Amino acid sequence: MASKSTKPLSHPLLLLLVLIAHSAMMVLVICSFGINAEVIKLACAVLTADFVGSIVLQIVAREACTVDTVLLLVIGMSTIYQSCFGGLEFALKHFIFGIAAFIFCQISYVVTRNPYRAERWKPAWYVLFFALVAAILLLTGSRSMWIDLGFITLQPSEFVKPVFVLIAASSVRTQLRKSQILGVHFVPDNLMLIFCTCVIAGLQWWCRDLGSLPTFVAIAGCGILLRFCYLREKISVRLMVFLGVCAVGVVILAWQLAPAYVQERLHSDIWSDMSGSGYQQVRALRAIAEGGWFGKGAGNGTLIRVAASRTDIVFSTICEEWGLFTGLMTVILVLFLPASILTVPPRSYYHSGLAVGVAAAFIVQMTLNIFGSCNLIPFTGVTIPFISQGGSSMLASGILAGFLKAAQAPVLTDKSALKQKGGR
Amino acid sequence: MDFTSFFEQYPFFREAATAFVVIFVDLSALVILIAAGRERRRGDRRWAKEGKGYMLTCAGTLYPLGAAEVLIGRHPSADIQFPDEEISRFHALITFANGRWQIEDMGAHNGVIVNGHRITKPCTLHRNDAIKIGNRRLVVIKAERT
Amino acid sequence: MAQQPNRRPAPPELDVSVPPSMRRAGKWTALLLVAFILGLVYLSYRLISQSQFYMAKSGGTTYGKVVDRSGDVLFDGTQPLTNYGWGHFADVGNFIGDTSGQMSNTIVAKNLSDLANYSFTYGNNAGTAVLETTLSHSANQAVFNAYGLKNGTTIAYNWKTGEVLVCVSKPCVDIALGYDNLAAMPEGSLLCKAFYPTVPGSTQKVSTLLACYEYAGVDQINALEFNCAGEWANANGDIIKCHNIYGHGTQNLTAAFANSCNPYFAQLVQSGRVPLSAIITTYTRMGYAVNGGKANAMSLNGITIPAASTTLKDKNQFETQWGTLGQGKTLVSPYQLMLWQGAVASGTGSAVQPYLLRSKTSADKKTTSLVSSGSTGQLFMQTAAKGVQDVMVQNAANNYAWALSGYNCGVKSGTAQVNDDGQKYENSLLVGFCLDDSCPIAFCIQIEARESWDVTTGQIARTLLDALAGVS
Repeated sequence: MASKSTKPLSHPLLLLLVLIAHSAMMVLVICSFGINAEVIKLACAVLTADFVGSIVLQIVAREACTVDTVLLLVIGMSTIYQSCFGGLEFALKHFIFGIAAFIFCQISYVVTRNPYRAERWKPAWYVLFFALVAAILLLTGSRSMWIDLGFITLQPSEFVKPVFVLIAASSVRTQLRKSQILGVHFVPDNLMLIFCTCVIAGLQWWCRDLGSLPTFVAIAGCGILLRFCYLREKISVRLMVFLGVCAVGVVILAWQLAPAYVQERLHSDIWSDMSGSGYQQVRALRAIAEGGWFGKGAGNGTLIRVAASRTDIVFSTICEEWGLFTGLMTVILVLFLPASILTVPPRSYYHSGLAVGVAAAFIVQMTLNIFGSCNLIPFTGVTIPFISQGGSSMLASGILAGFLKAAQAPVLTDKSALKQKGGR
Repeated sequence: MDFTSFFEQYPFFREAATAFVVIFVDLSALVILIAAGRERRRGDRRWAKEGKGYMLTCAGTLYPLGAAEVLIGRHPSADIQFPDEEISRFHALITFANGRWQIEDMGAHNGVIVNGHRITKPCTLHRNDAIKIGNRRLVVIKAERT
Repeated sequence: MAQQPNRRPAPPELDVSVPPSMRRAGKWTALLLVAFILGLVYLSYRLISQSQFYMAKSGGTTYGKVVDRSGDVLFDGTQPLTNYGWGHFADVGNFIGDTSGQMSNTIVAKNLSDLANYSFTYGNNAGTAVLETTLSHSANQAVFNAYGLKNGTTIAYNWKTGEVLVCVSKPCVDIALGYDNLAAMPEGSLLCKAFYPTVPGSTQKVSTLLACYEYAGVDQINALEFNCAGEWANANGDIIKCHNIYGHGTQNLTAAFANSCNPYFAQLVQSGRVPLSAIITTYTRMGYAVNGGKANAMSLNGITIPAASTTLKDKNQFETQWGTLGQGKTLVSPYQLMLWQGAVASGTGSAVQPYLLRSKTSADKKTTSLVSSGSTGQLFMQTAAKGVQDVMVQNAANNYAWALSGYNCGVKSGTAQVNDDGQKYENSLLVGFCLDDSCPIAFCIQIEARESWDVTTGQIARTLLDALAGVS
């Protein structure tokens, strides 16, 4: 191809590739199960979704096709994975949530594609944030994180993530708007971020769900880092050392003060308690070992009988049936989403903040899930975006992907600027 | 069609088929990367079109306006940085919205002077406008799109 | 364009590159991505390299074979052990072990992942994993049978190469018979006594002598004479008895060592010619945990062996004197006694680290050769090693010629008084080495509760050396 071609690769071509990738996977599924009603259902669902999704994109949104294509590819793949675990049964719910996530992605793109407007709406994000916090406090028990709506159970703590990303991002203009109380200059925006972080930390503590705390801390941390970049002279070695020492101190303090059930997780050796607390991880690791490079074949896995095989240890479940190659490839495909902003960089401060926040959320969640289930770090119950089963996580991830899309295809209008002009 | 027993008999073929799938998905990933690369150039082109090809020049040096918010000041994190004492750390902000470039005083000591007038509110920039910041004179020029 | 009159210069080329402050977002994202991908690479490496361990630990695979130096099978996970002749495994069960999980400090238990018939590439049951040991099964069986009805332990290794050739611990579980009658098995069937500290008896005098030689020099110590009248009262009035109730009279060190005379050594310690601190220094270097101090446990291809320990507080105290004589609170494993003999035999004061696994072959037919992990480091001075070697060789010539004729050996015998839950008995020990080029062996032999009519340590030593002569 011409090296400097600016012609976009046409959507049909990308669609074709997604279709071929999914079809190849389906061939493997057919090889394992033969042709039956479930296989046909699965194939129709996935391939139709690819087709329709692609056509809709062609008509509605022609920008930032990387995110959309990866999303289509990953959602289809994860539907095939989830349908095949331990025997074929079309994962209808997962598929529907996948489609919903795709739609949510487009909605959140439309909402946040204008960085000025998205930032001006920050009060609304605060309201949404505290509404979600209140929902967690009031509607879920202290030991469960679910709201049961009858036909569907929602996990509001998942939806806090995208809202928190919106709160953590900030522009240089906001950072220069300082207030003063008792002679101390401060930026209200930063104060709110710290306050919200504390609220979420307290809430997680109360919910006994410290597993997703690292995700929030990472989002807040990235937000604060970017703020430092705006307002500090070049980050000096001394400041870096200071921050490093602070971080280590916080970790040590948290380690010491962590409640008993967390301590247990931190110090447990799975190999000494293989039938107890280490059961999931031992089985997960064994499943990867049994799968080898190319897996046992779709539907031949046995890890499905272990709790959370579709969510927390889903990486192992994929590796068992499809092999380590496929497992790693799937993970790297999901990484394409945050990596897409490396090719199309955001062109406004607020979108930069969003992009880094989303990257932090995705990468930290994947780290916790994959490295945790493989016994490199303490095991926590977090999900891999788009791959793990779970509606709330899927939708929230869709919203986060929408932010990435927004950062790559911004719409730069500013109503307040228009008004000012009118007044002149 | 009983592939199942066939694969049980010859596991090598199933491994080969899996490898094939992996290659296919990787191939599509590669194409997505190529698409992303093209999208980048396309993004640049779109930006050049929307931003009217404006750039700033000061004493022969060209400064691109590659983002919707471009900060001018003495601060090292400023996009257009001048190490002059007369220039505040965060002096002025050039923003792009609604298809036009505007300059805004960020509370600078010596103010921002556009075409000889000190601005008090955001001021739209046009081709050949002269912006005086401290002792520096920046000129808005229209560059040639390639 | 250029030809047309134009006041302005040609417009410059448009640059729409993203300013550095925005590029920071990309930088941070790239940093996160790179960190994650590096982690993923490490994870993959770890998963692949540890997959054998995962399978072995979780019982997801079958196990291969352990064989001796000539290929004789010591454990076989691929077929019922009863397929081998009756009593085939009777002498090796408690240190080679099996996969039943009944024993945890065995070669099989500690190297379980290397024994798994699994490889990441070829999957489960792709082949048979083989662990080749340095052991000589025939020699081991000969020594085991030489014990007759007695219990005890013998461990021997080639002090030149580090190969462990014989390791016997009676009573021993027969892994082919299983564990159905676990309750009826004699106590100690499931552990190898060579790896657990026991009362060393007079073999401890070797350590004390090494310490004395190291501090005062060989000639100085050899010239020292003390009187033994059958028993001797120390400064605190406590009585140290000699096994010879008539006493050995005035004797020099060589004689006292050969006589295994307790009063002589007690007087040597109390005399202060060798300060207690010097003895403690040498003991600590040799690997004792003195007075509750710390000493590193040793490892033989994963099998852990606790360090020796003793209590030395005051040179006038009975307990301290008793400690230097190898009674009371002093505990040393036969393995470590053997190790010190290796250092004496080499004449350098440092020993070659023993090892039991010679090679491992994984299920996908990859063979890895294993060798000794090197030297123990300087345990005691070369001069002390030489001096003790001479004394021990002389001792063997004087007292064990009947048993060890034809071998250039050095030995020291010992009798350990054991008080086991009120049941008192005496264990007989013999530590020593053979300097012959055809048979460079260092060994430690122990017979539990030996009576005068039982098999002697000397006889077992003979059996051992005869069985090992020429094995290389």
